[in-house]
Formats: sequence, structure tokens, C-alpha cells
Amino acid sequence: MRPGDPTARELAGLRAAVARAAGDDPLPATELAGRYFELAMARGDPRYIGYADAVMSPFAGSRAAAVLAIRGKLRQYRHDFEGALADFAGALEADPQFAAAHAWRGAIHLVRADYAAARTECDALLALDRPTLHGGCTGLLLAYSGRMEAGYAALQRALDGTREADNRLWLLTRLGEVAAWRGQPEAAERHFRAALALGIEDGYLIAAWSDFLLDQQRPAEVVKALAGWEASDGLLLRLAIAGTALKLPAAKAQVQALADRFAAAKARGDTTHRAEEARFQLHLAGNAPAALAVAAINYREQREPRDARVLLEAAVAAKDAGAAQPVLDWLKASGFEDARLRQLGAMSAQAGSVASAPPPGKPEARP
Amino acid sequence: MKAPRIFLGLFACLVAWAAAPALAHKASDSYLVLQVKGQEVAGQWDIALRDIDFAVGLDANGDGDITWGEVKARHADIATWALGRLKLARGGDCSLQVAEHLVDEHTDGAYAVLRLTGNCPSRTQDLALDYRLLFDIDQLHRGLVRLELDGVPHASVLGPTSGALNLKAGETSRLAQFGQYLVEGVWHIWIGFDHILFLLSLLLPAVLVHEARRWTGVRSFRAALVEVLWVVTAFTVAHSITLSLAAMQVIELPSRLVESAIAASVVLAAANNLWPVVERRRWLVAFGFGLIHGFGFASVLAELGLPADALVLSLLGFNVGVELGQLAIVASFLPVAFLLRSTPLYRRGIFVGGSALTLLVSLVWLAERAFDLKLISA
Repeated sequence: MRPGDPTARELAGLRAAVARAAGDDPLPATELAGRYFELAMARGDPRYIGYADAVMSPFAGSRAAAVLAIRGKLRQYRHDFEGALADFAGALEADPQFAAAHAWRGAIHLVRADYAAARTECDALLALDRPTLHGGCTGLLLAYSGRMEAGYAALQRALDGTREADNRLWLLTRLGEVAAWRGQPEAAERHFRAALALGIEDGYLIAAWSDFLLDQQRPAEVVKALAGWEASDGLLLRLAIAGTALKLPAAKAQVQALADRFAAAKARGDTTHRAEEARFQLHLAGNAPAALAVAAINYREQREPRDARVLLEAAVAAKDAGAAQPVLDWLKASGFEDARLRQLGAMSAQAGSVASAPPPGKPEARP
Repeated sequence: MKAPRIFLGLFACLVAWAAAPALAHKASDSYLVLQVKGQEVAGQWDIALRDIDFAVGLDANGDGDITWGEVKARHADIATWALGRLKLARGGDCSLQVAEHLVDEHTDGAYAVLRLTGNCPSRTQDLALDYRLLFDIDQLHRGLVRLELDGVPHASVLGPTSGALNLKAGETSRLAQFGQYLVEGVWHIWIGFDHILFLLSLLLPAVLVHEARRWTGVRSFRAALVEVLWVVTAFTVAHSITLSLAAMQVIELPSRLVESAIAASVVLAAANNLWPVVERRRWLVAFGFGLIHGFGFASVLAELGLPADALVLSLLGFNVGVELGQLAIVASFLPVAFLLRSTPLYRRGIFVGGSALTLLVSLVWLAERAFDLKLISA
């Protein structure tokens, strides 16, 4: 970050305000921590999470809604979901109108595949008359729990109702994902491109767009889309998968760099990148048993469709039907409609009779 | 983790982490490698330049890049800042200095490498480490510590709530060291024929009584045992004294003199059996010559090398080993000798014949050692 750039100047101003408040008023700290959190999300740079934690540490005893909310966000980043849920609940105690706290609680329940609890939060957003947040919450809930078309429609309605760029970015990204699950690549591409056209730095969007392109056998476009994003482990993973598919000379170094980074994360006891590590082991290191082990641990914590998918793929590759059982249970209970996942589920059920998982980016025969 | 590639900053290199997209975004870690051996501390501390910049500000010209020149200009500040956040204590605070500043690449960019040296007040006490780097401004920061305390490795990941590390002065290593020297002691008495022959020469008559110019068997096992215990204890006490004095370099004797004297002690002990001069109070002989044998043990110990930080313990281990070896010899000798004491085989064959053979062998040793010759022994 150049000192002259607006972000650096903004951060310097926020830091000065924190220094002036000298620990009496948590508000400037909350603002600075919130900005750090946004930067961490946008750039995939966890150092900002550590900075935010440190800025908030003098206010550990505060029960103010804004303080609890930022703490909840920081905790969910570290996958401390229980702690985050409690913080957001505390924020709602202090301020029952705090819609964002309901939205975060809903998102965490969705990640953990607790759809009944997620529904309570989505309903609360409706009661607070927050149609955009409610649309996002309900849309995802419906899509995850087997009603893809209704979910897509809810997200679309929410999108039509908001002009706010950050909201549109999030909704367009999710619409792209849902359209892809529904087997509508043209619609998905349209949504992703509309999101990219907003010109907002967002690591999640780039990752989702890259995954879509990889599934569509378009690795060359992934390489183009990810230029300059190698700093993020998650995005370097997608870049390396694309580069390997294209047999690019740079891919080898990227795979080595990823191996180094996972080793470095392991050395410090960091476990927040298990989903990526499972994909790395499966698609780049060619180590199906290791991929399966990591994916299974990850699935205990995070149960979104992408987590389910890597566990299924690893189970198929490792020819271990039992390991995929939690995903098969989820597919059955939720009725999730993605054809690719359903096919992988069927493959994993035929234990031992499957030669290998479909390599990434290869078309799979649709049933 | 990839082996760090250290490059000396003799040339002005641009450490442009901000402009290098191939570097990882990762949470902040520092890598602290320390060897504490006795009082001496040596080590290396890798801290990301990005973290140093965030904490103390390195980018002097404000262009967003950190150059080697900018880092070099702040070497003293970096050292003060970092060392102010690391405490090492062993019997009191250890001093720590940065002996050298280098730069290295890790997965997430350039790191300052601080080569550390230091000194602790104690060389044997437990070690305490208190790590406070960056926690005040980055709570996700972790200190990845690999510490070798007197050769025993430890690894830890230190965080804001776990910045302190307490390491017991290597009990395992001490025990191992003790055991190692104990084995050496046993081994040495077993291969040290001169010591064994001296001891046997003193023990052979223990089951006999010299009366009216004739040897007869002792009446009770108890009498033989008491005699043996006196001899062995006296020998042990004596050689322990000189072994300790020599090992601690209080007294040093030329080894040729010591070895010759040991050979002479065997000659005299064997000769005394054939032509008795000293018949009672053999323990006094054992004590007197035991002093000489202690110097012999010490020269072996000197070859093994005594660890400076565990001198007493190793010495004790070696000594205990020697005693155990001795006891094994006595335990196997005494019952057999007692049973055979009244037979002609023992009195003529073993006692007289054995003593004569011992005398012969020890005379050859004496000649070899005193005149530096090679006759029979290796």
C-alpha cells in the first residue's frame, strides 16, 4: 500500500482518532477495526485481522453493540463460530434493531448447515423490514436447502431492490454461484461479469468466478482473471490449478509456493485454510488420502456446498465411501440440487468400484 | 518450510514486498531459533520487514517500498525494539545483543534476520523465555520458537496469551549424560586389566590366613567378606579422591609416571602374596595405591572429555560405573574363592600361580611404561 493512496491516508486518520480517544471511547477503535476487517476480506490478507484484534483488545469488557459486532466478525474469521454467535447475540441484546448481527448469525448458521437456526435469523430481518438483507439470507437458505429456483428468485428480487454497490456485489456473486449450481452457465457468467464490472476489490468474488471458469474448462481465463492476486492462498490455489491444466511453466513454482505456505500455516497452528488445503492435496499434490483427511476435518466445521464437494471428490479419489457419509446425509436431508454434487455422491456410494475422481476442469457425464 | 536463503545486504537491494505479488498474504509470524548452552546464548530471529515497518516505520522516503538502505539506517532502532520484547532468564536476566543484521526471504516476503548472542548468569538452572513482539499491535502474530537448551530441542508457538515459556534444565539430558559416563566407568574397569589385577592381588589372600609361615583357609565367610569390604572400600575412597582432584584439574601428574606407578602397585601387591611383608591391614595398601589408580582413571576421563556444564554429575557417573564394575568382579570372585580356599588348587594354583603370573605381567608393564617400550601389551 502506497502512503499516498486513499486507503493509507484513511487508515492514518482512523489511527489518529483511536490515539486521541486514548481507550475511553470504543467508537474510533471500532471504526478502525471495521476498516481493517474489510481490507482483510477484500485482499485476503489476515494480518489486518490481527491488527483489528489488537485495536479492539482494550475494549474486551465492553457490551456495546458495535464492539461486540466487530468482535463477532473477527471471531468468525478465525472459525470461532460459537464465540461469534454469542457476540452477535450480545450485540442484539444491546441493540435489538441491529440487523447486521442477524445477517451474520444467519450466515454462520448457513456455513454450519443449521438451516432451522438460519431461518430464525432471516425471519428476524424480515421483521426489521430489511428487504435486501432478508432476500440475501432467505435466497441462500432456500438454495442450500433444496429449493434452488425459489432461492435464485429471492436473491434476484433482493438485487432488484438495492442500488448499494456492496450489496449488489454480494448478491450478484451469490446469484452467479446459484445459477452455476442450477446448470445455467450463461446466467452465471452474466451475474459474475456484472459483479466484476462494479470494480470493487473482492477476494470472494474472484474466487467464485475462478471456480466457475475452472468448472467450465476455461483455465486460460482464470490465469487472466487472477493476475496480481497470487498473494492470497485461496486465489493462488485456483491459479495453480488453472496453470497445471494448461501446463504453464509457472505452475510448478506456484504449486511449490502453495506447499510452502500450507507448511508455514501449519507451523503457526493455523487451521483456517483446510478447505483450500484439501483441494491442494487432491488436485495439485495428488495425495487423495491426505486430501480426504483434511476435507473431513474441515467438514466438521464448515458445511457449505464447496466444503461438501471437496470432501466428496476426495472420498471418491481415495475410494473411501464411509468418509463421504456426512455429505451424503446432508444431500439427502437438504435436498441440495447441484447435479455435479449429486453425481459425485452417487460415485462415492459405489465404494471401491470407482477408478478416480474426475480431475478438475474435466467435463463430467451428466446423468 | 523452504530453507531460508540468506543473502548479505552488501549490495543495495530493493526489498519491495509491496510490489511483489508472488508473496503470500499470511498472518504475521516471527521465527526465533535459540541455542542456550550453559551460560552462552546464540541464535537467529527472523522478523518480517512488513511487521517492523508497521511497528517502527521503515519507509523513510514514503514511497511504499522498503530499501536495504532504509533498513540499514534503522538497525539500532530495530535491535532495540525487538530485544525490548524478548526476555531470556537463567538464574537472572540473560544479556542479549544483535551481533549481525541480515535479510532473508520467506513465503510472505523479506525478513530482517537478527543474529543474536548473549550470556546468562547461570549455566545449569531452568530457562524462562518471555516473548512480547508485536502482540500489542497484531494479536494474530505468533512467535515460532525453536530452542535448544543444553542440547535438548524444544519447539513452541507463542501467542498473546502464551508468550511465556519455561523450560526445565534438561533433566532427560542430564540423566542420559550420567548414564553415559556410568557405562564408560564400568567399561573402563572391565578393560583395565591393571586395575583388575591389582584388585585381585589384594583379594586373593582375603580367603586365606598366613599363620606360622603357612597359608590356611579362613574359617568363616564373614571374615573373608569383612576383609574384602575393607580392601574394596579403601581402594574406592582413595581412587575417588584422586580421580576428582585430577578431573577438576587441582592436581595434574604426568601420565607416564602414573601408569608406571600403577604397574609398580600391581608388582608389589603380587609380590606381597608370594613373599608376605604386609599381612594385616591390606586395606592400607589398597588405599595408598588406590590414590595412584585414581590418577589413571582420570586420564581416561580426560580423553572422554567432561562436559563443562555437568562436570560433577559426569564425574559421579564415571565413578559409580567404576564401583559397579568392581563390585561385579568381587561378587563373582569371592564365593568361588571361599569355596575353593582350602584346596591345593586354590592355594598353589590360583593363589601362588596366579600371583606369580600377575607379578610377571606387571613387571613387563612396569618396564614398558617406565622405559616407554613395547613388549607384550597393546
